[in-house]
Amino acid sequence: MSTTESKNLYGILAEFKNPKALVDASAKVVEAGYDKFDTYTPFPVHGIDKAMNLPKSKLGYIVFGHALLGFSGAIAMMYFMSVIDYQINISGKPFFNAPAWVPITFELTVLLSAFGAVFGMFFLNGLPKLSNPLFEVERFKKATDDGFFVCIEAKDSKFQADLVRQLFEEAGATHIEEVYEQ
Amino acid sequence: MSHKPTITDSLQFPADSKIPRVLLIVGAVGLLATAIGFATDLEQSLYSYLVSFVFFTGIGLASVFMVMFHHITKSKWGVVVRRIPETFGGNLKWWSLAFLPILGGMTVLYHHWTDPTLFDPSSANFDYIVAKKESYLNVPFFIIRQVIYFAIWGYVGHKLYKASVELEKTGDWGITTLMRKISAPAIPLFGLSIAFASFDWLMSLDPHWFSTMFGVYFFAISFQSFWAIMILMVFFLQSRGLLKNTIGQVHIYDLGAWLFAFTVFYAYIAFSQFLLIYYANLPEETLWFYERLEGSWKYIAYGLLLFRFVLPFLTLLNREQKHRKNVLRFVAIVVVIMHYLEIYWIAMPMLSEHGINFSWIDLTSFFGLGGIFFWMFFKKFQQNSMIPENDPKLDACLEKTYHQ
Repeated sequence: MSTTESKNLYGILAEFKNPKALVDASAKVVEAGYDKFDTYTPFPVHGIDKAMNLPKSKLGYIVFGHALLGFSGAIAMMYFMSVIDYQINISGKPFFNAPAWVPITFELTVLLSAFGAVFGMFFLNGLPKLSNPLFEVERFKKATDDGFFVCIEAKDSKFQADLVRQLFEEAGATHIEEVYEQ
Repeated sequence: MSHKPTITDSLQFPADSKIPRVLLIVGAVGLLATAIGFATDLEQSLYSYLVSFVFFTGIGLASVFMVMFHHITKSKWGVVVRRIPETFGGNLKWWSLAFLPILGGMTVLYHHWTDPTLFDPSSANFDYIVAKKESYLNVPFFIIRQVIYFAIWGYVGHKLYKASVELEKTGDWGITTLMRKISAPAIPLFGLSIAFASFDWLMSLDPHWFSTMFGVYFFAISFQSFWAIMILMVFFLQSRGLLKNTIGQVHIYDLGAWLFAFTVFYAYIAFSQFLLIYYANLPEETLWFYERLEGSWKYIAYGLLLFRFVLPFLTLLNREQKHRKNVLRFVAIVVVIMHYLEIYWIAMPMLSEHGINFSWIDLTSFFGLGGIFFWMFFKKFQQNSMIPENDPKLDACLEKTYHQ
C-alpha cells in the first residue's frame, strides 16, 4: 500500500460542495475536452448525464438481441418437441399449435431479455470489478454519504496533472487529490 | 429552475374557426343518411350504428378515465393536454342521447334474448341457456342499467370538466382536492359500469357466449385507441398553429409512450381471452371465435394481430421513434382504424355470419356520429382555454425535460 515502487498516477479526484456544483463542473470538464472521466454521487443527480455528455446507452440493442434469441429459441424448441420428435394429438389440435405456444415463447423472450439487461449492464459497466484505486482514498468514502466527486483519469489523451488541477480549482472544487494505482 | 415558464401561444381556440360548422354539417348529413338507412334496412342500420356508437363512446369513457387517474396520482406529465379528455368527458351527458336509437331498436338488435318465446318452455323457440339468464337479460333491467351507466358517466365527466374550468377561473388550488375526491370513488364505478356496458352492448348480441374478460377487453381496446386519438388531436391542433410551443416534444413523447404501453396491455388482454377459450375448447365459448376466424372475418382477426399489436409494438419500441411525429401519426392512424375494425369484428358476425359485408350505412353512421361527437368537442373546447390555466402543476408540466 505504501511502497513507492509502482506509483502510477490513476487520476485526479475533486470534491464538490453539492450536486449543482458537480453538474456545472462536469459541463466544464466536457468543455475542456476530457472524455475519460466519471462522477460519483451518493444518489442519482438529475441532468448529470447531459452535463457529462454521455452517449445513449447501447443496452437496448443487447436486450433486443437477447429477446430475438429467446423468441426464436422457444419456437425452435417447441417445434422440435411437438412437430418433429414426439407428436401428441391434443384434442385434435394441430401439432404446430401456435396459440398454445405463445405463453412459452413470451416467457422465454422475457427471460432472455432480462438476462440480457442484467448481464449486459454488468458488461457495459465493466463489472465485476473487485478493486478500484479510488477505494484507497479515505475521503472517497463520502461518495456514499454526502460527497460529490469528479475523477479525470490519467488515461485521457489530454491529461496533464497541472492543467486538470487548475480546471478543478476554477470549477470551485473544495478538495483536490491525486489518486495512485496500487 | 426558479423562473416561471412563460406561455407564448394563444390559449383560446379561435372563435371564428370553421371546424365546428364543417363537423356539424358532416354529422347532420351522416345522421340523415343513416335515418334513411333505418327506414330501409333496420337491422343493418342498428348494427352499423351500434359499432360507431361504441367506437366514440369508448373514447369518451377512456378520456374520463385518464383525467381521473391523472388527478388521483397528482400527475403533472399531462396537464397541458388534459383539457382535451376533460372536454370529451364533459360532453358525455349529452352524448347519452345518441344511445336512444339503440334503445328504440333493441328488440331487433338484441332479438336473441328479447324475444319472449325464448323463455317459454312450451314454445318451439325455447332456449334453455338464454332462459337461465333471464334475470339479467331482460328488457326493463337492460334499460335501468343504461340509465345508471349514463348517469354515472355524465355526472362524473361533467363534474370533472366543471371543476377544472372553475380552477382556471378562480385560481383556487383547493379545487384539486375536490377533483381527487370525485375521482377516487368514480374509478371503481367506472370500471364496473364500463365492464357491464360492454356485456350489454356487445357480448349480449350473442347471448350464448360469455367471456369474463370481456369488460377488461373492451376497456383495453378503448384505452389503446384513446391514446392514438389524443396524439392525432394534438397534431391536429398544432397543424392549425395552436399550442405549438405549449405542447412540446416531451409531452408528445409521453403520449407515444402511453400508446406503446397500452398496445402491450391490449395484446395481453385480447390474447388471454382468446387463449383460454381456444385451449378449453368448450363449444359454448369456442363458437364465438370459430365464427370470427371463418370466411373473410379471419382477415380482420389476423389484421388485428399484425396491425394492432406487432406493427405498433415494433415501431414504437425504440425510444427515438416516439420522438418522430410522422411515425407517431402513422401508428396512431393505424390503431384507430384497427379499433373500428375490431368493434366491427366483434359485432357484425352476428349479422353476416360468413364474411365481411360492408354497408354504406357503416360509413354514414360513422361519419354522422363522429361529426356530432367532434362538433360537440370543439364547441365546448372553444368556450374555455385549451389548457387548464392556473393549475398548480402546470408550470412543472411546461418545464418538463428529459435527460437524454
